[in-house]
Order: sequence, then C-alpha cells, then structure tokens
Amino acid sequence: MSTIIIGIGNPVLSDDSVGIKVAHLLGHALRDRPDVTTAELWAGGLRLMEALKGHEQAIIIDAIVTEGGMPGSVYTLKPSDLRQSRNTCSAHDACFPEALELGAMLGMSLPQQITIWAIEAGDVETFGEKLTREVERAVPTVVEGVMRQIELEKPLPTSGGDRT
Amino acid sequence: MRRITINPITRLEGHGKIEIFLDEHGNVANTYFQVPELRGFEQFCVGRPAEDMPVITNRICGVCPEAHHMASVKALDQLFGVEPTPAAKKIRELFYMAFFVTDHITHFYALGGPDFILGPDAPPGARNLLGVVRKVGIEVGKQVIDCRARNHHVIQMLGGRGIHPVAGVPGGWSKVVSAAERAEIETIASQNVEFALFTLKIFDQIVLGNPAYLDLVMSDVYHHRTYSMGTVDEQNRLNFFEGRIRVVDPEGREFLKYEAADYARHIAERVEPWTYLKFPYLKKIGWKGFVDGPQSGVYTATPLSRLNAADRLATPLAQEQFERFYQTMGAKTIAGRHQPVHHRLATHWARLIELLYAAERMQELAGDPEITSPEIRNIPQGIVGTGVGSVEAPRGTLTHHYVSDDRAILTKVNLVVGTTNNHAAISMSIRKAAEKFVHGFNVVEEGLLNRVEMAFRLYDPCFSCATHALPGAMPLIVSVRNHEGKTLKSFRRDG
Repeated sequence: MSTIIIGIGNPVLSDDSVGIKVAHLLGHALRDRPDVTTAELWAGGLRLMEALKGHEQAIIIDAIVTEGGMPGSVYTLKPSDLRQSRNTCSAHDACFPEALELGAMLGMSLPQQITIWAIEAGDVETFGEKLTREVERAVPTVVEGVMRQIELEKPLPTSGGDRT
Repeated sequence: MRRITINPITRLEGHGKIEIFLDEHGNVANTYFQVPELRGFEQFCVGRPAEDMPVITNRICGVCPEAHHMASVKALDQLFGVEPTPAAKKIRELFYMAFFVTDHITHFYALGGPDFILGPDAPPGARNLLGVVRKVGIEVGKQVIDCRARNHHVIQMLGGRGIHPVAGVPGGWSKVVSAAERAEIETIASQNVEFALFTLKIFDQIVLGNPAYLDLVMSDVYHHRTYSMGTVDEQNRLNFFEGRIRVVDPEGREFLKYEAADYARHIAERVEPWTYLKFPYLKKIGWKGFVDGPQSGVYTATPLSRLNAADRLATPLAQEQFERFYQTMGAKTIAGRHQPVHHRLATHWARLIELLYAAERMQELAGDPEITSPEIRNIPQGIVGTGVGSVEAPRGTLTHHYVSDDRAILTKVNLVVGTTNNHAAISMSIRKAAEKFVHGFNVVEEGLLNRVEMAFRLYDPCFSCATHALPGAMPLIVSVRNHEGKTLKSFRRDG
C-alpha cells in the first residue's frame, strides 16, 4: 500500500513545527520503505489535498490547540474531526474536509484511509526552532505510534517459493 | 459608548477580533480589528548570516513563500552590493509570475468568486470553492486544480523545491533553465493565458452581466477615496517584480515615486493602544485617523490600488482589460490618465486583470532566448551592510529591510508585509459594514457577518504573515457590549 506521511506546520514557529519535526524523524526511520513517502507542508487546504494525490494511505501530523488542552497531549483524528486544527485549513482557499470533498468531486485519486496525528501545542506565537518541553516529550510517542501503524500495514515479505 | 465585538477566530480559541463601538444612540462610533501578535521574528533573525534570509523568511508564511524569497534575495543583492545578471533577473521574474498565476486563480475561485458566483446572500455554508464548482461545473474545478498543479511544477523546476524555494542567491539564481524546461514553461504559460481569459469571461457573464451584482460593486459599500500604491516601471506600467513605488492621490495625480530603499522616508507607522497591528500611512500627509480623502495619509496596496497607480499594463490582452475596467467603472481621465476606482469590491475584477498580466508576462519571459543563458550569477565581492528589497506580493507591496555588520551578520531586520499596508483601509471597510447593519442598538446579525466576511475576502488579509492558517475559515463571533464593556448579546458563525 502506498503511504504518504505529511508533517504540517511552520518550521520556525515553536510548537507549530512539531508535525514537520516528527515527519522528518519518520522519513529517516522509514528510509528503506519504498512504499512510504514523507513530506512537509506549510499550508493546509488545497495544498494538503493535492499532496495526497496518488496515495492509498495518508498519515498527517500536525500541531493542534484545543480549549483547555494540555500541551503534549496526542490525539488521533479523522479528517471529519478537523474542526479544531490550526494547520489543515488555509485562510486563502479551503479547509481540508472541503478540499477533500472537492478532490472526490473532481475524481482525483485520493487515499481511502487518512489518519491525523495531532499534538497539543504550548506555544504557537513565538518564532523559534525549539519545541516547548511538553511537546518535545510527545515526539517519541508520536513517532512510535506512527511506526506501529505503518508496521501493521507493512506488506508481507514475498519470496518466490511461497506463492499460493 | 457601547461595544460590539466580532471575533474572526481561527480553529483555535480567540484569535483576532473586531470591535464595534456604539455611541449613546446605539449607532456606530468606531470600529477596530485586532489579531494576535507573533513574537520575536526580528530576534530570531538577528545574529544569523544575512545569506540565510531567503530561506528563513520564506518560512514565515506558507501561502506566499515565493514573495518573501524574492524580496529577501533582492535585499541581499543590495546588502552585498551585487547586480544580478540579466538572465537571472528574467528567471526570477518568470518564477514569480508562475506564483502570481496560481495565487490569483486560487483566490478567485475559492474566496472572491463565491460571493458573486453564488451571491452575497447565499447560505454561508455554500459560499466556498465547492459551491462554485457545483455552480460553474466540474470541468472548471478540474481546470483550477490543473492550473495550480502546472504552475507548482514550474515553481519547483525553477525554484529547486516545491513549497519553499531555495534557488535565489545574492547576485542571481542558482539553477540554469534547460531548453526543454523553457519549452515546457512556454506551453504552460499559454495555458495560463487561456485560463485567465476564460476566468475573465466568467466574471463578465456572472458579475457584469447581472445588474444586481454590478450595482453592488458600484454601490458605496466599501467605497473609500484613499491614496493608491503600486510598483511601476520607467514608463509607469505595473510591474510586480521591480521598479519604483508610485503613490497616486485619490484624484489620480502622482503624489510620490520612490525607490524601495527610501521607504522609511515616505511611510510611517501609526501605533494604536488597542491593537498590535501597525497602521502605515503617508508621512507627508500625516495620520488623520481612519478616514479617507486627500487630507488623510491612509493608502492601500492591493490589486485595485496597483491598477490605479499604473498608467497602463505592459502586455496587450491585459491592457485591453485594463481600459475596459476603467471605462466600465465610469472613471474619468485626468492629465492623460484614468482616475482611480475606489469601489473596493472591484478589487476582485482588478485581481483577474492582474492574473492575465502575470500569465502574459510569463509567456513573454518563457519565450525569451536569454532565459536559458548559463550566466545566472554575479558573485558578490564585498559587503555594503544594508539592503532593502521590495516586490508586489499578491496582497500588497512587500518590503524586506536588512542591516548587517561587516561580516554580513544581521544586526537589524524589518519587514513591511503586503497586508500591513491595508490595515487602516480594512478597518474602514469594516466600519462601513457595521454602519449599514447597526442602527439604534439594532444589529442585523446575518447582514453584518456577511458584509464583514466580504470585506475580508476582498483584501484577503494575511494577518501577521506568519501563521499560515490564520484566521482559519473565518468563523466569526460577535458580542454586543455596552459602554462599560458588558456583553449585551453574542452570536457566531463558524466558517
């Protein structure tokens, strides 16, 4: 199954960059998997939908701020849950669910399975390359979680003699 | 005084709000809008090597990294005292036109179009890109996505990477255009011209062909007689990429023309106690508050103001549209040039004329044999220590100003981003919307929300040019407060 992993966020806006940092780590960890592509994106909306084209599965990693949320909390969401995400919308075109609907309407080849890993951010208003402590601590959790998800769906190794 | 608050929040809590102060009779006394401040960009940059800036500044906005990349590279040309080669200038501009095409086309179909194609009074949930595609047809939707894809491809080919270009360097460009790439870009540019013409035709049929919409454009909703800013070449033709900055007065007379490097001599920034936003104004006129007219230093930098500031456009098809625009809008001629149009809803039309210009200019540049020249860079020989770079970003004039020490380590960074130029005008448009729908404490909620959204859509503000998603899909929260700040009523609409 062709999988795309996308980290979204602003790479120089503190915790907003967490998705990009996680995607970067995953890209390294999964470098031997030809069926997995990793990418980073700075804008949601149409751009995000367009990036998914041609893949069967998508894993999106993003910072999130929810009312009363604890920084560092990790959520797994579906596109329809995206009302609270900062990045999957673009103020300049469309929200992700709307962009997905457009893609479907236009007959684009989009993943059937889309998972969003969202990490509750502490600071998304200060320029800086570092994550806050709580968010930094969540990074391995998300990396491991996504790896497990990918491993579960790993195609079984094939060898000539085992064909049935 | 009583106060109404509108919060155009993001998907997050509490980002940005519009406050409408009422007088004792319950009519609008004043309106303000506020957005959160993103902290520390200058500190983030100071102490870094200047040459890192084209890659750092293009990260502050996921929507227009190309504009920041270009303004930054131009600032570095000056900071290192190096003139790019002619081929490098052409490649930069070609790259920039591909970006303009994709940005303007997306704006029309996703943001500007819905208000007209579906109508300003259509249900808010239908006034989006999906609604537009349902109305104009799947085929047009496919063309929008195709247009974006082919121009993203050009940006990637020329800029080195897809989402954040890296090819610009002081003195030129780091990637040669091959003959095959040139030919491919030329074909893409022709497709862009066709699609721009097609889009103008849609605008013609739907807006100009509908007296009710035309009346709306020509009405006094968002009519402000301000100064207009735009970059022009030596013949006073619009240029997105280089030239001098020209400001014309509300009657259309040239008021200022200056090199970007002199911006601080002509533009000052007003600070108000109630917001982090700064309000740039013309120094020579001075700040007179949120008012229009020749005595007020308020100006705008938008697609509409750029057409107003130019005498004409440099490409033939766009020039035809330019003439038609001013004739249709009933602009008179003064001193050999058209008078400015001040109806802000006409910005949507102006944006499409700019789209056609960008597509035609892309075609010209792609057809220029020099574009494949290997002479793409002059190597800097010294450090001047200061540089100002400016381009027309889709949302207004963008200026980067850097100062460095003698090792080219940055000591000062100042950016004036496109939207900032328009903060005062946006406030004034919100006020017009409020005045229409708030009388004697009576607030017409739907009408007010619709008109505020329309104002935002026409300026397409990129608040603080930093959070790519701010302000999300524009959910609005309105609170009506009395003069002591107590909330009288509250209502909202999710985007």
